[in-house]
Amino acid sequence: MHNPQSKAIRFIELLLLISALILFVIGTALGDTFFLRLATESLIFGGLAMSVDLLLGIVGLLSLGQALYFGFGAYLSALILKEISPSFGLTIVMVAIASIALGWVASFIALRSKGVYFALITFGLAQVAAKVVYNTRSLGASDGMIGVPILRIWTPFGELDAGQPGTFFVITLIIIGVLYLVLKYFLSTPMGSMWHAIRSNEDRLAYVGYKSKGPKQFAFILAVMVAAVSGALYPMLRGFVSPELMFFSVSGNAVVTVVLGGVGTLIGPILGSVLLTSFKSIIATWTSHHHIVIGLIFIVIVISAPKGLAGLLTKYYGKQDSRKGGGDGNE
Amino acid sequence: MEMNDVILRAVNLTKKFGGLVAVDGVSFEITSLGVSSVIGPNGAGKSTLFNLLSGTFLPDSGLVLLDGLDVTRANPEQRLAAGMARSFQITNLFFDLSVVDNLRIASQALESNVNLFLPLNKSRIAIDRADELLDEFELHEARDRLAGALSHGQQRRLEIAVTIATRPKLLLLDEPTQGMSQADTQETAELIKQLGSKITVLLIEHDVDLVMNLSKAVIVMAQGRKLSEGSPAEVRANPLVQAAYFGEELA
Repeated sequence: MHNPQSKAIRFIELLLLISALILFVIGTALGDTFFLRLATESLIFGGLAMSVDLLLGIVGLLSLGQALYFGFGAYLSALILKEISPSFGLTIVMVAIASIALGWVASFIALRSKGVYFALITFGLAQVAAKVVYNTRSLGASDGMIGVPILRIWTPFGELDAGQPGTFFVITLIIIGVLYLVLKYFLSTPMGSMWHAIRSNEDRLAYVGYKSKGPKQFAFILAVMVAAVSGALYPMLRGFVSPELMFFSVSGNAVVTVVLGGVGTLIGPILGSVLLTSFKSIIATWTSHHHIVIGLIFIVIVISAPKGLAGLLTKYYGKQDSRKGGGDGNE
Repeated sequence: MEMNDVILRAVNLTKKFGGLVAVDGVSFEITSLGVSSVIGPNGAGKSTLFNLLSGTFLPDSGLVLLDGLDVTRANPEQRLAAGMARSFQITNLFFDLSVVDNLRIASQALESNVNLFLPLNKSRIAIDRADELLDEFELHEARDRLAGALSHGQQRRLEIAVTIATRPKLLLLDEPTQGMSQADTQETAELIKQLGSKITVLLIEHDVDLVMNLSKAVIVMAQGRKLSEGSPAEVRANPLVQAAYFGEELA
């Protein structure tokens, strides 16, 4: 029952988990800050990319404004941490609940349309929200909000200091990992099959007795929640938030990450985010024109592997399977 | 008793497109079980009639009654819940999903005890139904292939299987053998015959020979009107039908 794509997904899951553990052990032993924080950031933006992929790769809806919900999570997180209580659990839970409410409201606006119109509405919503935040003095306007306190996280095994780069890296890994597993769980349910069916042929669904509206709305709200919870981790890492988090560059970057990593695989976008974030920071040390280099890499990958890195792996496993199948036949 | 046997009743159905009257006051009754067919030359209004029955178009006047229930304005989900399913003339599947997934999605829709949030492999209903259909429609060897990668004949069979998965009382088939090879057409005809032993099938067809071999009752349409109806032999013998249809087809 293991098809090439699920093998590719399993491979990327293991690759990311093992790399993360190695990075954590070596990074902590050497007292590294730079790479651990870079990896944490790439996981956070990986969560955003995963939320774009749920809509794009699974349900077939291209969101060009997912940064709105990422930024919402980041701002709300910063506000709670600064104004209410620097509590990790409270912040994550409140952001999750608030984002579900926001997603529910936004779904009525965004899901009125399909295809390119859905893309434009999500884009427009995010632009409006970014402008509003940019001009709201109490949210720090164009400067954003600084001075988000460093967290102390209560666990049954004692308090953790999120100021330690290794510690916060592991916390981020767990949160993004849980979000991934939640999405993966839904994909294994009849709800998940309906998402695939909507992407594949939405109009046909009515003729097997389903309304596509409910499953689409559920996926949209779930995607908003994933983006917002990922965003909530951002001020915990960086100590600040700024309106740039809601700008189109962040939404667009997430779509690029999804395409690069492999549309419809959820884990591919996380790998894509890790690679893109690392590339960006490595190439930025060589040249200030790193956007040009990233752009060229993107073009080469899209031409040579239109289904992204996960697609390349799937192809490899597919070939391996058919070779094995041929071998069995000869025996 | 006779009356209870009627599963589908069309009453005075009329549909105009601008100045063209595509379906003009058509009434008929379809009795339970077996295969009934609507035939007619190109432009006779068969497809429009099919779309009125299946709810794609709303009629300008007239009624569609399913088991005595007025479904004239019911949407596809409501028609399905009432027991009416339809196939598509142009193959219409979930092309980038596997054959078995196509069948599972279709099977789970009307099962009220399918929990949307429990893992698929824990809700056996849809899976068992899908396996049953794979057997019935001889699609077992294509089980895990993408619907879009099947041969045309297999796709047409899957199309019927997906439609049947919802357990309808009445199945509307729109030119199911269109574009099929001779061998596939034979197989599909056999399949439709078998379906007719369990549910009522209403076939809209262009292929006269196919219809005559399969049907217990035939309705002939020409220029938007019902020209004749009866058993295949009666219809064949009707001089009006011969002039309008067989005259040109069999010449």
